[in-house]
This record gives sequence, structure tokens and C-alpha cells, in this order.
Amino acid sequence: MTETIVELRNITKRFPGIVANDDVTLDIRKGEIFALLGENGAGKSTLMSILFGMYEPDEGQIFVRGEEVRLTSSKDAAALNIGMVHQHFKLVSNYTITENIVLGDEPLKRLGPLSWVDLKGASKKIRALSLEYGLEVNPDDKIEDLQVSTQQRVEILKMLYRDAEILIFDEPTSVLTPQEIEYLLEIMEELRRGGKTIILITHKLEEIKRVADRCAILLHGKLVGVYDVATTTTQRMANLMVGKELDTTLDKTEHDFGEVVLDVSDLTVYNEQKVKVVDNVSLRVRQGEILAIAGVSGNGQVDIADAIAGLQHISAGSISLKGEEISRLSIKDRIARGISYIPEDRQKDGLVMDLTLRDNLAIKTFDREPFSKKGVLQPEAFEQQATDLIKRYDIRSGQGSQTTTRSMSGGNQQKAIIAREVELDSDLLIFVQPTRGLDVGAIANIHQQILEQRDKGKAILLVSLELDEVLALADTICVAFRGQILKTDSAKNLSKEEVGQYMMGVTQ
Amino acid sequence: MNKFSSRVRSALSGLLVPSISIALTLIVASVIVLLLGKNPIEVFLGFLRGSGLVFKPRYAGGQGILTDFFSYLSILTPMIFASLGVMMGMRAGLFNIGVAGQMLLPGFLASVLIGYSDLPSYLAWPIIIIIGLVAGGAMGALIGFLKHRFNIHEVVTSIMLNYIISYVTAFFINTYYADPVTRNSRPVSEASRLLIPGQAGGARFDLPVGLVVALLVIFVMRFLLDRTTVGFRINAVGLNKDCARYAGINVGNNVVLAMAMSGMLAGLAGVTYYLGFANNMVPKELVSLGYDSIAVAVLGNVAPVGCLFASILVTIFQKGSVYMSSNVGVPKDIASVIIGILLMFSASGLYIEETLQRLRRRSRSKQDAKTDPDKAEEERA
Ligand SMILES: Nc1ncnc2c1ncn2[C@@H]1O[C@H](COP(=O)(O)OP(=O)(O)OP(=O)(O)O)[C@@H](O)[C@H]1O
Ligand SMILES: [Mg+2]
Repeated sequence: MTETIVELRNITKRFPGIVANDDVTLDIRKGEIFALLGENGAGKSTLMSILFGMYEPDEGQIFVRGEEVRLTSSKDAAALNIGMVHQHFKLVSNYTITENIVLGDEPLKRLGPLSWVDLKGASKKIRALSLEYGLEVNPDDKIEDLQVSTQQRVEILKMLYRDAEILIFDEPTSVLTPQEIEYLLEIMEELRRGGKTIILITHKLEEIKRVADRCAILLHGKLVGVYDVATTTTQRMANLMVGKELDTTLDKTEHDFGEVVLDVSDLTVYNEQKVKVVDNVSLRVRQGEILAIAGVSGNGQVDIADAIAGLQHISAGSISLKGEEISRLSIKDRIARGISYIPEDRQKDGLVMDLTLRDNLAIKTFDREPFSKKGVLQPEAFEQQATDLIKRYDIRSGQGSQTTTRSMSGGNQQKAIIAREVELDSDLLIFVQPTRGLDVGAIANIHQQILEQRDKGKAILLVSLELDEVLALADTICVAFRGQILKTDSAKNLSKEEVGQYMMGVTQ
Repeated sequence: MNKFSSRVRSALSGLLVPSISIALTLIVASVIVLLLGKNPIEVFLGFLRGSGLVFKPRYAGGQGILTDFFSYLSILTPMIFASLGVMMGMRAGLFNIGVAGQMLLPGFLASVLIGYSDLPSYLAWPIIIIIGLVAGGAMGALIGFLKHRFNIHEVVTSIMLNYIISYVTAFFINTYYADPVTRNSRPVSEASRLLIPGQAGGARFDLPVGLVVALLVIFVMRFLLDRTTVGFRINAVGLNKDCARYAGINVGNNVVLAMAMSGMLAGLAGVTYYLGFANNMVPKELVSLGYDSIAVAVLGNVAPVGCLFASILVTIFQKGSVYMSSNVGVPKDIASVIIGILLMFSASGLYIEETLQRLRRRSRSKQDAKTDPDKAEEERA
């Protein structure tokens, strides 16, 4: 059982201005679930991309099954039966599941000089694999019609189809709902029983505790150590990960709420497919109040947020901000009236990935003073703001304000969005999944900031799939189910179990 | 490492990759020429001579190197405008493939309204420029509007508009403005041409007025894109529409604006081409320059100053090909082949950069890590 399958020796990888991996030495045993833990930007994705052949290390050696290998592309990795599910999926959206899985490695059928892709046979094999591991999919479905969790299954099947023995998962659970996470962890255990080796990157310590055998901790690119999960507490892991005693207790003080800031009444929204996604919803958020919308993913929570921000058309109802009806206003005008919005999809909506961090931090304010004067941009003002926010919000990147956002680690991209939005100093802040993909330290930090905004008298609308987050922060909880608000009550009056039941649509 | 030297370094490395692309192109082109049984040096000299950059062995009466050189400049001018037009669209994420049509309509209107009148130059020139801006801009805006309002792809609209413009103008040329001998449109008046005739050392030449405008426009565009809120919006829309919308930028307006500007630049290309280089129109013909400008914009890294240098380079092949072909005997289509190869290599810029980095890494890992001062410095930063 203790046969070593992968060995990384003295791996160093530098990017401009940063050492992403600094002399990392690890050995991974066959048949184990090996977790990789570290702060945002600690170098986890980079290290695994090296093992997957996407980057070449500047120094160090890689051994697979005892032999030294040089990986120059993911093809090399695949040949060694290494597979990876990336933090952001890589699927062709208008292809079927089967087509995506065989892409790049198509099984050919021959008849004389003719050959064609044997999709039928592939489809059969995929069905068999999906049965074997409980990864339910219909191979003929198109990717664009699938939910995120199903897309992830496709990524997993893609690895298995290529006979991967070493499976790398980069933050697989950050896009899943709690139920889906549970299911995925079971699948991982199933894979382990099947003799596969799994490397799991995650920020969620309970998951590590739940499935992993050993856990390596990275800090600023360096290996802190490899620990036995069974004998290490989550608190200790967290402390090792941030390199100091981590305090995650929140000091939330009771206070009275002020005037109503956001008043939504009878809101109805249809999505692009003409499906009613928000159904007659009313809610009010007052100054100094955190109102959290809890619910299983896809029950209209995000659509409510989008409608308030002006990204979705509403078909009935009204939205008023500080007494002014805003549902006819442009997005720009709503921002100016005082709405900050941390969107669900940071790479699609929250950031322009090919602009610098500096430009992204000013993307909502570039046409105001001091960032521009009479239409002419003032780079000094951009720079000054960026330097300030990078410091105050601890946004880590290789080249400071000039870093291209695309090269930043996922968690630090999120921090940048939060910094920008909080800095707008709006009366209403909408947070959708604010801590998705963040490390425990960063989560504590952001929770602290949300509370600070609350104490400053801001109205806060929080949409989160994490029940714990909702319970930790909310003053008032709304539970969304099938586009309706099933229950609204003060957080004090609701237990975790009750909220969970409402989320499932149970009303007593 | 101080700021200045790092800036110089990044500027140099910015030049390195294009230089490698160009060098590779010349090598491949040489191989092709050799396969054709000709001397590559002769061929390249032929291009340069045809463009007035190197002396020809002989000149006809009243001609000289300046004649060729200024003629080169007068075709360079529309190329600069056209590539800037393509670039402008690309910045907003739009593919303006209809530059040729957006050149023809303004060129036609300016010829008909001003070129066949007897206005003196000082009145004709500004009006011609305005016609270029207005007619080209209107066409661009229309394409942008159709995209924004009805979600019709700009490639479809601009190609269809190209056909419409070329047939409609052909109808008018054939019916009203044809030269009885050539069947092309009658040449425009001397006064309306955007050229200042000159003479030096026994050679006659024409100074292109448009070139001054083009150089000015390059810097205006650069300023607009890099330093103004207008440019910031267009860049954001081009790089990520969703985020731009989320940030409160009106995507539709900016699509229309960018296409209008793209069309204006194409319009300037049109008037400087038809009233400054060709001086007449061939019915139903869309100039290939309109399409070549796409390659030039890509080669120029979709940036104003890049477009200038790319235009200078590509125009040498275009302009010099006739002379080269008649004197060296390689078909002049080799110019298109070379431009194609150039485009291919410049599109592989990222790959070249990657390869360079890999080579550098390999040579570095051979050295002893501790003796490398560069690395120690990086670590400290
Ligand atoms: N392609 C790149 N170019 C430049 N810098 C990069 C690149 N990829 C990563 N980096 C930098 O390397 C560091 C490590 O990044 P990496 O993505 O490995 O972090 P991570 O541990 O996966 O973080 P997260 O938990 O936020 O995903 C970061 O500071 C990041 O900015
Ligand atoms: Mg990562």
C-alpha cells in the first residue's frame, strides 16, 4: 500500500515577480487521497499544472512510478495516466458529452482507406464507466444543457476514459452545492477503492478531514509539511496554512436597523428561455441589516440579485432604493445611486481578465474624478488606488497593480472584486457567493469586512449556498425555493435544521 | 533593477518577437524563391527598388528614386488608414471585414461630388476628407447598429454591404462617369487629388497630403485608446462584454461607436486611395488593400503605432512587386505569398515567445543557480 507513485523533487517555478513553487518535495502514494492545502496564491494550482505538463518547472525533477519524466504538455501527462479536472472546466459547450470525452483521442473505425470516429462504441464505453463509478450522465446530452455538477462529472469521466490512474482535482467542490459535494466525495472514495490515486486541492478543511489520507500544506510557495489527516485537527491545519494562529470567531454585535434602503415588491423575472425564475418576491433590507437569501443553487436567488443590479429585465414588480424607483434605470445609474455588486461568476462578469489589476479595480469609476478629468484618464489616480487596495485587502499577485488579472490565483481575483465593490461606498451591497474559492483565512477576513460594512450602516443583501455562512452573518434570512421566498424571519428565530427544510421546499 | 531599464527591456523584448517573425518570413520566402530558380537577394532588392527605397539602375525621363518613393508613400497612406480601421474594430471585439466597401463608397462620393468639379485644392481637400469621414463613418455605424439592435453579425453585414456598394457604384460609373476608352471612371481633377506635385533633381513626384493626416491620426488613436475614457470603454467591451455591461458600460453604444470610427478610418483610406493614388475607379472592383489591411492590423499587434510599422513593411511588398516581377521575373503574386507567410508567423507570436522562454530556461538551468545574479534579484523583489 505504501508504494510511491509520484515524486516531486525540489520543484521550483517562478513567474514574473513571484516564486509560485519554492523547492517543493513531495511523494504521493498509490491508492491514497492526497490533499493539497494552502492560502490563495500559495501555488497549489501551479504545482499540479506542473505535474499535468502545463508548465515546465524552472528547477527540480518529477518521478512517476520510479522513473524520471519530463512533461512538456498535457499529452505527456495523459500518456503516464495522469488526468486533471481544472478549477475552470475545459469543455466545448455545443458538443455532446461523448464528443467532448473523445476529443483529441478519437477512436477510429476503419473500412479500407476510409475511417471515421466510432462515437457509438465510445458512447457505450462511457455508459459503462458511468455505471461503474456512479457518475450518472447521458452521453448524448450537449454540454450547454448541463448543470455545473454534471459538467464536472463529464470531466471526471474524461479522465477515466483515458485510463487515468492519477486523478488531480483542482477545487472541485467550490462550484458545487452541499449535496453535490457529498456525492462527489463518495465518488472519490469509490475511485480510491478502485485503486486510483487522487490529489485533491480544496479550501474546505472538513472535506479533507472527511476523505483524505494525507495532506500537504503550502505557504507562499514553500512546503510546510505533509500531515496525517487522521491525527491532525482542522484548527491545526488552518494555523499551519496561514503560518500563524488563525482566529475565525466573528464579533457580531446586536444593533437596531435604520431606514429601509432596498425595497423590492412583487418582483417577477423571466429568464432568456422565458422560464419564470423569480416569482412574486418581496423583500426589504434596512440600514445596518444583513439579509441573506438561502437556498439550493438555481432557485432564483441570483436572478433576484441580477434584477436589482439591472442585469436582468423584470416583468413585474418594483425595486426601490432609498425611496426611489430604480427598476427603469440603467446599470450605470444604479451604480451611481449606490449599489455595489459582487457577482456570482467572477471571471465572466466580475473582471476583464486581460486587463491589469489596476484597471479592473477602477472599472466602475474610471469615468469619475480623480480617475479621469474631462475624459482623459489619470494613471496616477489608478495607481494610487490600486496600491492602496492591494495593501488593505491583501491582494497578492506577481506584479502588483500591473499584473494581468488572468495570471492571478482564483482567490485573489475574488479579493480584488470585493475590494473594488466595498470601496464604492454604496448604501446597498449585494454579495453573491462572496467567499467561493477563498481560503479559510481570507473567508474570515471577508466575513469581518461584511460585518464592518453592516456596522457602518450599509444595507447588505447576501446570497450564499453555504448555510453556515448564512447563519454566521445574517440578521434576517429569506429562503428561496423555485423562485419564491418561502420563509422570511429573523435569524434568531431559525435553526439550521429549519432553514435546511425550507430549502427543500418543506413548509409546515 | 530600476524602472527605466526595465521599461527599455520590455520595449526591446516587444520588438524581439516581431523581428523574429520577419526574419523567419524572409528565410521561408528565400527558400521559395530559390525553388523557383531565382536569386532571393535580387528579389528583395527588386521590392525595395520598386518602392523607391533603393536606387534602380535606370530611370525613365523625368523620373527618379523620389518619384518611386513618393508613389510608395501615396499607397502607404490608405494602407495606414485601412489597417487602423480594422484595428479599431478589433479593439471592440468586432471584425470589420468590409473595409474595402467602406473605402469605395466615400471614394465614389468624393470623386463624383468634388473630383469632377473644378473646386480649387484648398476647398476640395477639406471637403473630401469630410466626405471620407462622414460616408465611411455612416457605413460603419450602420453595421454596428445592426449588430447591436438585431444581433446580425458584423461580418455578414459588411460583406453584404460590400456587394451592394460595389454594384451600385458600378451602375453609376457605367452609366454616367465612365471613360469611353478605359471603361473605368474618368480620372478626378488634378486639383482634387490629395497630392502636392514637386520636382527635384530632374525627377517629378507627388507628395501625399494624406500621409500627414495619417501620422496625426495614429497619435490621436493612440491617445484615444490608451488615455481616454472612450478608449477604456471600448477596450473593456472588446475584452469582456459581460463584465463591461456589469460595470455599467453601455455595450451597444460602444459597439456602434467603435464601428463608426472604424468606418471613418476606412473612409479616409478610401479618399486617399481613390483621390490620391488610383485617381479613378474600376467598376465592381473592391481594392485588395481593404483585405490586406486585416493582415496588417494583426501584424501590427492591433495597436496604432504597430499598424504604422506593419503598413510600411507590407506596402514595400505590394508596391515593389510590379517592378520586381518585370525585372527579376518572379510572378508578382509572390508578394501575397510573402504577406501570407508574414501573417502566419506573426500570428504565431505567442508560440515564438514561449519557445524563447523555454530556451532561456534551459540555458539558465545549465548554469549554476547560485551564480546567476538575475535570479537572486527576482527573488528579492
Ligand atoms: N501564468 C501565470 N503567470 C504569472 N503568474 C502566475 C501565473 N499562474 C500563477 N501565477 C502566480 O503564481 C502564484 C500561485 O498561483 P496559483 O494559481 O498556483 O495559486 P493557488 O494556490 O492555486 O491559489 P487559489 O487557491 O487562489 O486558486 C500566484 O501569485 C499567481 O499570481
Ligand atoms: Mg488555484
